[in-house]
Amino acid sequence: MNILLLPDLLIILLAASILAIDLYRGKPQSTVSFHMSWIGLLVIFCLLIILPYDQEITYWGTYKVTGISLLFKQVFVLSSLCTVLLSAPYFKPGGNARGVLRYRSEFYFIILLCTFGMFAVVSATGLLTLFIGMELATIPLYILSGYQKEDSLSVEAATKYIIMGSLSTGLLVFGYSFLYGCAGSLSFKAISVFAMASPTDPLFRLGVLFVLAAIGFKLTIFPFHMWAPDVYDGAPTPVTAFISVSSKAVAIGFLLILVYGPLAPLHNYLQIILLILAGATMTVGNLGALKQKRLRRFMAYSSIAQAGYIIMAMAGTAAAAYSSIIYYLFVYAAANYAIFFIISIVGRNGEEEFKSLQGMGKQNPVLAAVLMLTLFSLGGIPPLAGFMGKFLLFAAAAERGFYSMVIFAALNSTISLYYYLLLVKEAYIIKPAIAPRVLVIDNIQRISLVLLTSAMVSLGLIPLFSSNIMAIVQ
Amino acid sequence: MTLIHFVVLSLTLCAIGVYGVLTRRNLIGILLSVEVILNGANINFAAFAHFRASDPAAGAIFPIFVMAVSGCEMAVALAIIISMYRRKKRLDVYKLEELNG
Repeated sequence: MNILLLPDLLIILLAASILAIDLYRGKPQSTVSFHMSWIGLLVIFCLLIILPYDQEITYWGTYKVTGISLLFKQVFVLSSLCTVLLSAPYFKPGGNARGVLRYRSEFYFIILLCTFGMFAVVSATGLLTLFIGMELATIPLYILSGYQKEDSLSVEAATKYIIMGSLSTGLLVFGYSFLYGCAGSLSFKAISVFAMASPTDPLFRLGVLFVLAAIGFKLTIFPFHMWAPDVYDGAPTPVTAFISVSSKAVAIGFLLILVYGPLAPLHNYLQIILLILAGATMTVGNLGALKQKRLRRFMAYSSIAQAGYIIMAMAGTAAAAYSSIIYYLFVYAAANYAIFFIISIVGRNGEEEFKSLQGMGKQNPVLAAVLMLTLFSLGGIPPLAGFMGKFLLFAAAAERGFYSMVIFAALNSTISLYYYLLLVKEAYIIKPAIAPRVLVIDNIQRISLVLLTSAMVSLGLIPLFSSNIMAIVQ
Repeated sequence: MTLIHFVVLSLTLCAIGVYGVLTRRNLIGILLSVEVILNGANINFAAFAHFRASDPAAGAIFPIFVMAVSGCEMAVALAIIISMYRRKKRLDVYKLEELNG
């Protein structure tokens, strides 16, 4: 028994105790589960920070904890912590215009178990752990996106999500079966040995393509991104935020593990495919975002574009890709959650549309400034974290000499700046036709926004974070 | 009966499943098509375990996990479909049109 497995065990224990206390007490309005989850997640995060990052331990041959997997776990825990905080007003009457969420402790239970599934994905050393982890990370998201049973949009989103998701699971298992068939074993080591010996085996390549297509669904890679806007628009906002950060992070972790682990001998062949997919994904996301009028749909296209930038870094060397992508995930998580906190404030008593932002600059200048900083960070404007993150991603691709791709991505980034500024224009310049509604901000939302904004600024200004990540990866 | 027969069978099942997902209008039909894909993969696993694997036990165990996981997935899917049926009174995918743009 080693201390490195402690976060994984604690998160299961936390989930189980939340459900047990709810069963025992049986009060639907009780906030005990909320306080337990955020305190528990905070404790787990602190534990993750103080754990030793230079050790590596394999449990029972199938569950490996390394410094890199601990970094991914930090992202997942922070993301579920933000989701728990974001969801707090949604369980109160009047907390959101779309209706009240019920069954609070089940909600947190599902989020925590989903997070454990993500832990398993980044700790996998074989296809079986990878498969079970991936499913444990995905199936709860179907339940969560249909959590507002009374709302037909939410149910429709869940239906679309589960149809696309189960199709992708089918393809994923198919891909695994070919990888297993070629390598003769489920462990990454055996697959790596096979890939080294005969990288051109047609069955093996077929398996790799199946896996890539399946993970494309989860990562919203073009041409498998169609479900994302609908699901993001229909699901309750905390769930949308969770899907846009955690689900994307786990899919990226999965892809990184495969591309730089067992499939590393095929990297030259995968590079071109990944770059083409990245280019197409960022273009589709950016062009789609241009014509949106609803905030969450807009965020869906924006996150598709961000996925494109992230995949581009996978053309680089292992160390560059890992460090830049993990750093970018932190940056992306901070910016995305800040936006979703603002969306939840706007959506408290109105539609979550562009025009709901009008008059924010006059009425609540601080909130409008936070919105502007966040959008600048997502767009990649220099002093903020987003710029540093994008710079590292582009540098990872440039290191291998893909300059034309980097220029293409930079052009795409310029387009994205245009539509991020559209939101700023709504908030500051356009005069509202009717008097703007008064925005009510909870204390939780205020504190979270302050923390997220300071994270966004300090991650970009202080080089400590990125150099720390690089030191751990190498 | 060689390995190639089984691989062809499983790929055929996969093609049938994908075709079903793309063309079926009924949600239950789509779920059945997904199950066909998963079963094709299971046949693949069993065949590879029998014919060429150095670690045949893993290939025999994997389909059992796949069945359990797909069982969970189908349970969730049916629950979601029931709550959608309560909203819309139809199981037709063409009724899923409120979210678009």
